[in-house]
Amino acid sequence: MRSCVRTCSVGIIVAALLVEGTGWLVPAARAQEVRVIEIAAERFTFTPSEIRVKAGTQLEIRLQSDDTAHGFHIVGTDVDVELPKRGRGITTVSFQPTAGRYTFECSKLCGAGHEFMRGVIIATD
Amino acid sequence: MLTSSTVENYLKAIYGGAARLEPGHRLLPMGQLASAVGVAPGTATTMVKALAESGLVEYEPYSGVALTAAGQKLAALVLRRHRLIELFLVRVMGYSWDEVHEEAEHLEHVVTDRLIERIDAMLGRPETDPHGDPIPNAEGLVKTQEGQTLLSCPLATVVTVTRIIDQDKEFLRFIEQHQLKPGESIEVEARDAAAGSVRLRGKNDQRITIGTRAASKLLVQVAHVLLLFLLATPALAQSTRRAEPARTNLSGYMDFHFNKPEFQDGSLDFHRFVLLVTHSFSDRIRFVGELELEHAFVEGLEEAGELELEQAYVDFLFTRSFNVRAGMILMPIGIINERHEPPTYYGVERPFLDTVIVPSTWFEAGAGIHGEVGRGWRYRAFVAAPLNAAAFSAEEGVREGRQKGAEANAGRPAVTGRIEYVAYRGLTLGASAWSGKSGFEFRPRFDVPVSLVETDARYSRRGLELRGQFAQVWIDNAGLLNDALALRVGVNPNIGSALRGFSLESGYRVIANTARGEVGVFTRYENFDTQYRMPAGYVPLLQLDRDAWIVGATYWPDPDVAVKVDYSIVRSQSAVVRAPNSFNVGLGWWF
Repeated sequence: MRSCVRTCSVGIIVAALLVEGTGWLVPAARAQEVRVIEIAAERFTFTPSEIRVKAGTQLEIRLQSDDTAHGFHIVGTDVDVELPKRGRGITTVSFQPTAGRYTFECSKLCGAGHEFMRGVIIATD
Repeated sequence: MLTSSTVENYLKAIYGGAARLEPGHRLLPMGQLASAVGVAPGTATTMVKALAESGLVEYEPYSGVALTAAGQKLAALVLRRHRLIELFLVRVMGYSWDEVHEEAEHLEHVVTDRLIERIDAMLGRPETDPHGDPIPNAEGLVKTQEGQTLLSCPLATVVTVTRIIDQDKEFLRFIEQHQLKPGESIEVEARDAAAGSVRLRGKNDQRITIGTRAASKLLVQVAHVLLLFLLATPALAQSTRRAEPARTNLSGYMDFHFNKPEFQDGSLDFHRFVLLVTHSFSDRIRFVGELELEHAFVEGLEEAGELELEQAYVDFLFTRSFNVRAGMILMPIGIINERHEPPTYYGVERPFLDTVIVPSTWFEAGAGIHGEVGRGWRYRAFVAAPLNAAAFSAEEGVREGRQKGAEANAGRPAVTGRIEYVAYRGLTLGASAWSGKSGFEFRPRFDVPVSLVETDARYSRRGLELRGQFAQVWIDNAGLLNDALALRVGVNPNIGSALRGFSLESGYRVIANTARGEVGVFTRYENFDTQYRMPAGYVPLLQLDRDAWIVGATYWPDPDVAVKVDYSIVRSQSAVVRAPNSFNVGLGWWF
């Protein structure tokens, strides 16, 4: 009986080490991963214009313009940044959505079709 | 008996420590407090118990300490004294900002409320001290400060330094030496996580590289947000979490040309001066207006320029997939009609296809819906005033039939729509259609049904730009139309029953992303015929069956400014009537 308990204990420990070693066992306290999303802005589209994520995901949105300066505003939130013109850098935005649909739009007048320039982040549980 | 300054220092330390706690944590651990005030943990615990008995703090053994409302107010008032003294010493006494903290540490406990009130009034009720720290008001309330560090603010965006959160003397001298004090405008150009450095562009384009630790101690705000913050009333600034976008915006584009057709004198033409204005009644109701002056000069009935209201509509934005638009609207046909800012296309003049087959800029009074569904599928569908067939011609097709919203006949409105698919970054596929009855001006009335289909593709990525477009127009009852116009003006206009054109274009930015700008070269082939099909009994004019090669280059000193040059070779099927080639130079810009 004692031998059986000892064998089982060793087996459990070895299994745990193997699982940890392969990275399958993720400690609850490990830092939350950041999902990077790249969005290109060009008169008069954001690409991609529909982004689906799991609610609560920490998003790092990297925005780059392919032509003039644009804005990126997530309606109903504090997120409202200006994207520099082509070749002048990338703007990053951190956003952690709860469940819901978040419309984003260009917030800097960029041309005749400016009002078409919209997209959505869909966060689901 | 506790001395007043000791109590105040403890309260201030708890206040400052609590502000740095992780979200969701309320109690400051005793070890941190002891370290902040520079005493042994046991001494700190004894003091905290005494403060708890006075009702200034809540103490939970083995957990930590938090200020009560009374303690919070007392601590804030100490900070008020400290920060006003610092500002006074800098502004009035001529101290440097790295030596005032220690003076204020002593003086904050001895000055009277009356003196502080006088200092506050004398300095004009300031909101921040020399380091950008907020000054609590006389009630102990602190205005919330929004801000990001240099590690989290947007790259390549002008930001204003608002606060330095480390008051170590050496650090403050470093900040001053590099002109990074509150109020300075800077840009973060790059962050290198591996090297732990942040590269900044400061005053006079000076490049400064600082460590990430230092970068985390500078709070900044995006410049325009700060401006709104300063312009807002204090109540508004306190209550709103995000800066509201400006409610009215002005923008525009211009197009200035030199054209030299073969065998003719050259001409200088300020072709377009366009102003756009938008106004947000709310987040969901917006106005867009576009007023265009063509050829610079308008006088009476003379043949000169045109003043046109190309857009003036209100958008009711309901959801991403369904929105309503009404007013003067652009017909959603082709590439150029909705996307015609000069820096966005190659060539001095717009393509022939977008002039004689698709009559851009094509705008009409109307209303409809638009939106986007799924990933990249967009639609627009409008009803609008139809074309007026009485103004059609053989050479320019339906172009002069645009009613342009000027008391436009809308007895039988036209319908138009476009579907667009942004397949992936840079690739847009589109198809458009228009259909309307255009014979409303004739008596007895007869139908001139007109329909147009168009399809296009555009790819723009890594400097490569490819475009293809096809359009065809059908004019039913063109024979009747020719007869009716011949009776009216005495000459048969010989209008075709179908118009057709297509174009292919490739361009490439051979010099890209340099400090001095970018250069692109292009070539375009166009084939267009405004008499592609003729009504029975009519013969087409061969000179209207044309094709053209356009080659040229564009220099963008800025992505919104384009200097263009091209040569246009036009050929027709006629051996007698020759279309002139032309050399063109243009300057166009958007702002």
